[in-house]
Amino acid sequence: MAEDLNWAIGGEAGDGIDSTGKIFAQALSRAGRHVFTSKDFASRIRGGYTAYKIRTSVDRVQSVVDRLDILVALTQRTIDENLDELHGGSAIIYDGERSWEAEIPDEMTAVDVPLKSLAEDAGGAIMRNIVALGAACEITGFDVEYLDEALEKRFGGKGSKIVENNKEAARLGQEYVQENYDLDHLGYNVGTTDNDYVLLNGNEAIGMGAIAAGCRFYAGYPITPATSIMEYLTGRIEDYGGHVVQAEDELSAINMALGAARSGARSMTATSGAGIDLMTETFGLVATSETPLVITDVQRSGPSTGMPTKQEQGDLNMVLYGGHGEVPRFVVAPTSITECFWKTIEAFNLAEKYQTPVFLVSDLAMSVTEQTFPPEAFDMDEVEIDRGKLVDEDEVDEWLDAQGRFRAHAVTEDGVSPRAIPGTTDGAHMSTGLEHDELGRRTEEEDERVQQVDKRNRKVETARTEEDWDYREFGDSDAGNLVISWGSNEGALVEALEYLEDDDIDVRVISVPYLFPRPDLSDEIDAADQTVVVECNANGQFADVLEHDALTRLKRINKYTGVRFKADELAESITEKLSEEVPAQ
Amino acid sequence: MSSDVRFTDFKSDKQPTWCPGCGDFGTMNGMMKALAETGNDPDNTFIVAGIGCSGKIGTYMHSYALHGVHGRALPVGTGVKMARPDLEVMVAGGDGDGYSIGAGHFVHAVRRNVDMSYVVMDNRIYGLTKGQASPTSRSDFETSTTPEGPKQPPVNPLALALASGASFIAQSFASDALRHQEIVQKAIEHDGFGFVNVFSPCVTFNDVDTYDYFRDNLVDLQEEDHDPNDYEAAKKVVLDSEKEYQGIMYQDENSVPYHEQHGVTEDMSDIPDSAPDDAMDLVREFY
Ligand SMILES: Cc1ncc(C[n+]2csc(CCOP(=O)(O)OP(=O)(O)O)c2C)c(N)n1
Ligand code: SF4
Repeated sequence: MAEDLNWAIGGEAGDGIDSTGKIFAQALSRAGRHVFTSKDFASRIRGGYTAYKIRTSVDRVQSVVDRLDILVALTQRTIDENLDELHGGSAIIYDGERSWEAEIPDEMTAVDVPLKSLAEDAGGAIMRNIVALGAACEITGFDVEYLDEALEKRFGGKGSKIVENNKEAARLGQEYVQENYDLDHLGYNVGTTDNDYVLLNGNEAIGMGAIAAGCRFYAGYPITPATSIMEYLTGRIEDYGGHVVQAEDELSAINMALGAARSGARSMTATSGAGIDLMTETFGLVATSETPLVITDVQRSGPSTGMPTKQEQGDLNMVLYGGHGEVPRFVVAPTSITECFWKTIEAFNLAEKYQTPVFLVSDLAMSVTEQTFPPEAFDMDEVEIDRGKLVDEDEVDEWLDAQGRFRAHAVTEDGVSPRAIPGTTDGAHMSTGLEHDELGRRTEEEDERVQQVDKRNRKVETARTEEDWDYREFGDSDAGNLVISWGSNEGALVEALEYLEDDDIDVRVISVPYLFPRPDLSDEIDAADQTVVVECNANGQFADVLEHDALTRLKRINKYTGVRFKADELAESITEKLSEEVPAQ
Repeated sequence: MSSDVRFTDFKSDKQPTWCPGCGDFGTMNGMMKALAETGNDPDNTFIVAGIGCSGKIGTYMHSYALHGVHGRALPVGTGVKMARPDLEVMVAGGDGDGYSIGAGHFVHAVRRNVDMSYVVMDNRIYGLTKGQASPTSRSDFETSTTPEGPKQPPVNPLALALASGASFIAQSFASDALRHQEIVQKAIEHDGFGFVNVFSPCVTFNDVDTYDYFRDNLVDLQEEDHDPNDYEAAKKVVLDSEKEYQGIMYQDENSVPYHEQHGVTEDMSDIPDSAPDDAMDLVREFY
């Protein structure tokens, strides 16, 4: 317990909650501690409850739990919202000088710190959250030196005066608690380790993966929670000769990305549910024109505008089946933040090798969660770029017809045609969303239509055998209880295993990063006594496809409150599910 | 770019299925000649076409090309030009394609000032879907979906372009071959978004805006001593609903195209076969 800590700061949107949380998370990461963050935010800029939570430990943490040890409460609502998670040993830092009278249950420790006036002493009321961080360091025994480092990183660009003032603010908070409270009995002791960590979220990992993979063009339209991918790339992609365009809408964004991709650039767009709807119009064109394009969907709660700042995994059916007509696609869904990086790179390779649109599917929980990793988890030497059948001036010749015309959609055994990008002599050709012949020219000939449809579908068949569509596995591989999941639930599941183990429940966890094509889990499901599918949606879209694949009925755990799974809560749901009667076959 | 390119090199071997007499024949000829005349060849040219009779133009021409979805040709052209500033990019489509379903993109492509030419075959009707009102149809023009006329004023694409900050606005007539070619050539040569609205009569569905009508009513700005660099004069011309003009209404001599504004110069198709050398710096940023 002493080494584990769940800390949160909460207040109104606009109170600087996010940046304060980020500073503390960075300080903990600098100290070599594992960090896992989560955010509660409402869809408004000012006003509305918002919180930033940090779970930190010397051991790896990859989920949120129902427990809060130290809470910095800038409003009464912060206390009320978190009452379930607070416990007898919790300390609540608040500012008693402010107009609200904090109502704090007796069993908890109230730490009244004049945040605002101490901040003013340090140079400005704006630093009151930093005073609170100093106070938190004192309560938890955390070395304030690491907080100083984080403050330098955060404010270094604004000049040494600002950095010094912030350090002073932290110091005043720390001293105030030291002088006015004796909190040793709480037993917190947040130590440090020699670990060398980086701290980043899923969207940053996707952006970094894109640059590593050679993505040069990005067009997007702002939408929560995908925007931060665009924000990451803007200002960085230029260093590699690339460019980001903020388009007028998603229709435009995907068409720009398509234009760049056809010109030979590795190109990407990202959006969330509503934006995918708009992009669906062009999706078929991308597929029939056989253009390599990565389309990222960071899912949020739908339908329609739904709950834009809340978690959900409700777009699976759309990415699997969206679009009129029948078009081949790949759907890749990272299951962790490191996988956000690696699967992005893989998505670009798949797109170019098979000249197909690739959906890269993430979700809100992953996009806003920061987590610590050793830098080697993103080892750039491991990055491989495969541009597929890109032909140069010399190779073009092999693909010309008798009249010297380039067969851009040549019918091949593996379904993949040669690809000549503009500028390649003799490679000029037209691509179209109309059904076309080998040259790309419109056709309604029955034979040609069938050949092209089969050719495009054959790419998926080729990929099925050429690529590894594997899955990740945790827990006891011989267990009769099988739990299957996709997307960001993986971390919570892995931690849930520990709780289940304590209760002597053996579970095998399979976390699936490929949704189409996907690994065939029929044997695994057959071998299990019972199977539970865990996902953040109401109808069990992944359970549906697995039932279809394995021709059997599966149990489901569905959460659609807008909040991600927590490890302890998930362990409980799994225990409960496993004890229910097995559905009729 | 080879100097011996002839305009027929831009012609594909597909026979157009346009109705005999369709204005799009003349529009296309002028475009091909303008491309050849400005020193381009099919291997360095990218043509993006919309959907409609007009959009079929991409099929009848030869170059690197994309025939996209209805109304979205301009964003595609933007993507091409950004990734490959070295290419000559031309976007072509109809009035429905550009000013109806694609109107939003039009405004933004204009204000971005992407260095490409945009040729709109304006027949004031939907041709391919067989004769419905288009955004440039006259308010009393009777069609299958507007038996008493659309009863709303037509879109004025020239004024819309000017109001959106266009750096080049022109209008031509498909059957005035030399002038049309010359105007498209100027649009290609313009550093920025070269917009040409072409009167391209539909002989099948529009019996009002005909060749005869344009021949009788067209006023050439060259003969009016119009100075295209004069913004105030341009305003007057584009807002004049009494006359049909051909020529260059407006050209901003100081136009700086989007990719130059944004410092995009590199060919983005050229990427290394591994992560960039300094890629670990991207990771260390997260310390
Ligand atoms: C999304 C979508 N909606 C409708 C259509 C049907 N459609 C095809 S062409 C066209 C209108 C074309 O008119 P215009 O751009 O003026 O070209 P024209 O045929 O007159 O040259 C329409 C509505 C379509 N292809 N796609
Ligand atoms: S219908 Fe009109 S626009 Fe279409 S090809 Fe015929 S004449 Fe041309």
